Amino acid sequence: MVLKLRLAGSLAALSLLLPGHLLAQAPPAPVKAVKIKFGQPEPADFDAKSFVADSAAPGVVLYDYGSTRFRLKNTDFQLESDRVTRIKILKKAGYDLATIEIPLYHRGKDEEKLVGLRGFTYNEVGGKVEKVKLDIDKGFTEERTSNIRVRKFTLPNVREGAVIEYAYTVTSDFLFNFQDWTFQREVPTRWSEFQATIPEYFDYKMLMQGYEPLALQTSESQQAQYVMHTEGGFTESGQRVASGNETLTAQATNYHWAMQNVPALRDEPFMTTTRDYVARINFELAGTRMPGGGYHNVAGDWDKINSELQNSDEFGGQLGRVAFLDAALKSLAEQHADPAARAAAVRELVLKSVKYDGTNRYSASGPLKKSYELHRGTSADVNLLLIAALRQAGLPAQPVILSTRAHGRVNEAFPLLEQFNYVIGLLPMEGGKDLLLDATEPLLPCGVLPQRCLNQTGRLVGSKELAGRWVSLTPAQRHNHYQEIKLKLDEQGNLVGKVHEEHGGYSAASVREKLQQLGEKKYVTELANQHPSWELPAYTFSQVAELSQPLSFNYDVRQAASTGGTASELYVSPLVGFGQRHNPFQHAERTFPVDFGAANQDVIVLTLTLPPGYTAELPKAASISLPDQGGRYIYAASSPTPGTVQLMSRLTLDKPVYSAAEYASLREFYRLALAKQAEALVIKKL
Amino acid sequence: MAPPAPKYPADAIAPALRENAHAVLRAYDKTVVVKSASQLVETVHRVVTVLDEAGSDDYGQLMVDYSSLRHLNYMRGAVYDAQGQLLHQLRPAEIHDQGLGDAGGSFMLDLRMRYADLRQPTTPYTVEFDYEIVSENTLFYPDWQPQAAENLAIEGATLQVTTPTALPLRFEEQHLPAGAASAPVATTTQTTYRWQLPAAPAVEEEPLAPSLTEQQPAVHLAPATFVVQGHAGSLASWQSLGQWVYQLGQGRDALPPALTARMAQLLTTTPDPRERARKVYEFLQGSTRYVSVQLGLGGWQTAPATSVATGGYGDCKALSNYTCALLKAAGLPAYVALVGAGEDHPDVRANFPSSQFNHAILCLPLAAHGTVAADTVWLECTSQTEAFGYMGSFTGNRHALLLTSEGGRLVATPRYGAQANNQLRRTDLWLDASGGAKATVRTRRLGLAQDRYAQLLQEADPVAQKKYVANRLRLSQFTITSLRLAAAPTKTLPGVVETMGLELGSVGTVAGRRLLLTPNLLGRLGTLPAQVGPRQTPLALPTPGLYQDTVRLHVPTGFRVENLPPPTHLTTAYGVYSSACTTLPDGTLQYVRQLETRRPSGGAPLPAARYPEYQEFRRKVSQADNAQVVLVKTDA
Repeated sequence: MVLKLRLAGSLAALSLLLPGHLLAQAPPAPVKAVKIKFGQPEPADFDAKSFVADSAAPGVVLYDYGSTRFRLKNTDFQLESDRVTRIKILKKAGYDLATIEIPLYHRGKDEEKLVGLRGFTYNEVGGKVEKVKLDIDKGFTEERTSNIRVRKFTLPNVREGAVIEYAYTVTSDFLFNFQDWTFQREVPTRWSEFQATIPEYFDYKMLMQGYEPLALQTSESQQAQYVMHTEGGFTESGQRVASGNETLTAQATNYHWAMQNVPALRDEPFMTTTRDYVARINFELAGTRMPGGGYHNVAGDWDKINSELQNSDEFGGQLGRVAFLDAALKSLAEQHADPAARAAAVRELVLKSVKYDGTNRYSASGPLKKSYELHRGTSADVNLLLIAALRQAGLPAQPVILSTRAHGRVNEAFPLLEQFNYVIGLLPMEGGKDLLLDATEPLLPCGVLPQRCLNQTGRLVGSKELAGRWVSLTPAQRHNHYQEIKLKLDEQGNLVGKVHEEHGGYSAASVREKLQQLGEKKYVTELANQHPSWELPAYTFSQVAELSQPLSFNYDVRQAASTGGTASELYVSPLVGFGQRHNPFQHAERTFPVDFGAANQDVIVLTLTLPPGYTAELPKAASISLPDQGGRYIYAASSPTPGTVQLMSRLTLDKPVYSAAEYASLREFYRLALAKQAEALVIKKL
Repeated sequence: MAPPAPKYPADAIAPALRENAHAVLRAYDKTVVVKSASQLVETVHRVVTVLDEAGSDDYGQLMVDYSSLRHLNYMRGAVYDAQGQLLHQLRPAEIHDQGLGDAGGSFMLDLRMRYADLRQPTTPYTVEFDYEIVSENTLFYPDWQPQAAENLAIEGATLQVTTPTALPLRFEEQHLPAGAASAPVATTTQTTYRWQLPAAPAVEEEPLAPSLTEQQPAVHLAPATFVVQGHAGSLASWQSLGQWVYQLGQGRDALPPALTARMAQLLTTTPDPRERARKVYEFLQGSTRYVSVQLGLGGWQTAPATSVATGGYGDCKALSNYTCALLKAAGLPAYVALVGAGEDHPDVRANFPSSQFNHAILCLPLAAHGTVAADTVWLECTSQTEAFGYMGSFTGNRHALLLTSEGGRLVATPRYGAQANNQLRRTDLWLDASGGAKATVRTRRLGLAQDRYAQLLQEADPVAQKKYVANRLRLSQFTITSLRLAAAPTKTLPGVVETMGLELGSVGTVAGRRLLLTPNLLGRLGTLPAQVGPRQTPLALPTPGLYQDTVRLHVPTGFRVENLPPPTHLTTAYGVYSSACTTLPDGTLQYVRQLETRRPSGGAPLPAARYPEYQEFRRKVSQADNAQVVLVKTDA
């Protein structure tokens, strides 16, 4: 066999992409790499002084090392990854750190295999370090799904102050699944290091993310050798071929990254997912250049992704004719000349035909006909059917792939299909407006995306003549809540009146969902529970099923006096029960952005009729703005006629996402708004 | 060809069964055939019409769990449209299979499930499921409770049990309507029992009610004798069940000699038995941890004490067995006890001996010596932080099955009354002229009241502690400026003291020249959920507790008191309440409030008719708790 090696050329072909805020920093000062001797902990690991700064943590990862390299198994390349981890257990709450689960994937003959597992626990007993070995026979293996096997082990004799360490190697046949390296965990990490040795045959893209700086980042070129073993046998013409070993010498690049003193990662309310913020490096196979062959681009760029999706059986291949909907679509197309109305009718047909099963995918799980017959499918099954049906009804819909909020944000600089897990439709409308379409949620009107999709940006997959492009997912709809309240006050301070509530946009969607789950009675009971002093003698909901209209909710309310006033004066804070009860931002600090997905508006217009012979002292008007047109709160009090008071409260948040730096002003904004809503009117007898 | 006859058309459902129902159980037929003392076959036929989307997730899918002792023979399914025409027949390839080892942090668990999804895009639709389980775990017989959930109506349900005459069935009927049971039919070799339930409308849960599983009709089944993996036992009595579990664990209490010697040494160093037991417990807590194991017979049989001694970990049985061995070596004979653990776990149904337990603890009787009276110490062996001798809301206030060489014995675990569920708080509040305030709060919780805080103190770091506390403060605006939790036990009970600094954005309401404020800042009793229509279900009151609050309100300069809330005293069967607000000589306001909640009938639920009376009590407490102080500017 003749192998001709072609060198990969410039090693810069491997690109390391850094998020902007890391690029802005000076390159890291060289740090001496931390080394450990497996089986031999450091005396400092048992010195309480080493952990003074970690008094809050249940444990500390002292050392976490991974390295991935390639090797040949006969003539096929495999990935081989070592892992060495040493952890200090500080508190009983950290005992769970000593139980390790390793998921191993297998499919057909290809598999990930765990070998060479070993581990120790060290405890200091009477000034001496006691060493206990991990008994591998006490591990446990679970076949969690048909493709995932979980190996579990737990280290012995774990006590407060113990140091545990373990090491193992995983071999993998899945070159596409080069494991990410996560530098950050739920406990602080002293040193986390990853090495990758990649021969010129493979071109991986690498993406660094997170908020932590690298302490070490190098890459150097070296020679690597791979031994190829060929089995003996006979050729087709019957000639005998001897088995043999051949050594390939290749240029390889040894990459090296490390982080030092990485803080623990925690989640916060109103965020997408911690996955978006954890310090991590991701790998994706971009191409291969096998000995004797040319460069084979497997990921490449957005154009390539575009054509790959178009040519895929599970994506573009599903967007052809949907014969099984022929008759229905034909009549819909005839009935609705207006494209928006026709699109809505087609979506309605898909909603009634296939139920979303809760699984998020961007490519179909099988032929669309199958999910149509099952009446059930993934987000891709549902929405690819929607796109195909729209096209068949004469509407030029295009697929847009995106990543749901729980799946994490898409990095536009990184042409990676793995970043996506969902697909929706886009229908260009007159006047350059695009209609974004999804048929997974029956409670949303046509053109409103489910909340899980509100993740900033998606990628339009163009047809052959149309290039792909980025599409903003920021919705025009807001969380919109409007209340018109008419209350009458008596001389004892009791309030009685009527409330008209309207929920629009995403607010309507969440009320409809709640109504579906609870029913009207429980919905009202829940409202009453939040207002102990309220009685709700009558209520009606309307426009519950008219999804394109705001949902409206009318109810009568009676509120017993809460404040003991003097005989001649009454104090009432009529807005209190109708505004937000708590500042949604209870915590003083914030690390990650606040991501609502959509803008917010909350308006209350309240008219209060005073008892005859009384007048009210009006509170001062107020107007509070967030920096950079981020939002506004307006409060006004007036007396339109003698004996009545009108209060107006309008809170708008114009941005779907606020940075962590804006958090303090957002929290203060709410504080001031809530304080204004709580202000009491002084009602005096004339 | 004529279309097949429709099955279960939705419009055949009686209107009364649609009320408040998300789904209607059209059929639920369970057949249990006892093959031998060591094997039974359970066959289920379940048909549900899903009326609306809210019922889809619960009834349009089926999950059946299985394990090494519980084999799933088959699982079949079909779905019909509203008219009863077949839409789809479940294919084997559409059934998912999954291990459940990631549920609840189990280390070794052989539990798996098969899962089928027949949910449809439009309602109503009807799903029909059939499955059969062969169980070699005959310690447990299946239960039958067709209507254990809210918003589910039933058209009817049946249970049929066939058992060899030599293996008589034991059963307990719960809230069955008249005529539900048929007379058993016996042949020479076997006996068949039958039950059926008539149609019943959907039920809805009410606040402070016993759980639906306790309220709804059910038949509990159990064997008289059984064999699990070659181990024969009897459920004739608690004594015999205890005997069986005790024997499974026999010979598994040997310790390494060095450890035995170390424990024996305590006999000389610590002669007082209670103190010695405390030392053993501290040794246990310092050198072991809990790791869950649920594998086959391992669900009841303890791992040998030596394995805990070498590995330093075990599950509840292994750690209790190990501790029992340690205590024995220290001259303190103790017993392992089985218990149904969990804050909401119902107590054992004492007159129906059967396996109703999910946890093991330890019971150590101490004989009287000198002037010290006899006592019993209970130990939770899976916790590395629990106070010595404390059971708390997890295992206290219930019954446990003591495992002795003479067999099992049902005994009460420690009882914790109001004094052992106590919260004492002192708040200092410095109000400013604009309604903002600074506050310092010191809260001491004892016994049951401290259970969650003890966990918070032991298991959460300061950031997580702050988050937990912040999420539970019922204030509209605040910043926690400092927070500290510390253990503060009394002689008999564990306790936690929480010290907190607060900045309150707007705790007082500005009303022109006046400032209004509710002095009961943190101690307001939560409101009782609204009751719609007449009360249907019995009233199950929470464990009694004693809650004391003192608030010192430092009035801002330039203000004087205009109005104070009137003092309130309430004495009822449900509790005793008092609150009063007075001006101290230095001008500070002092608000003192105390609530002792009671249960007029002990732990037993009260009849529904008592509910309005209880509501009235809560309403009065709520009203008093929300009373306001009025301050007015002095520079008029």
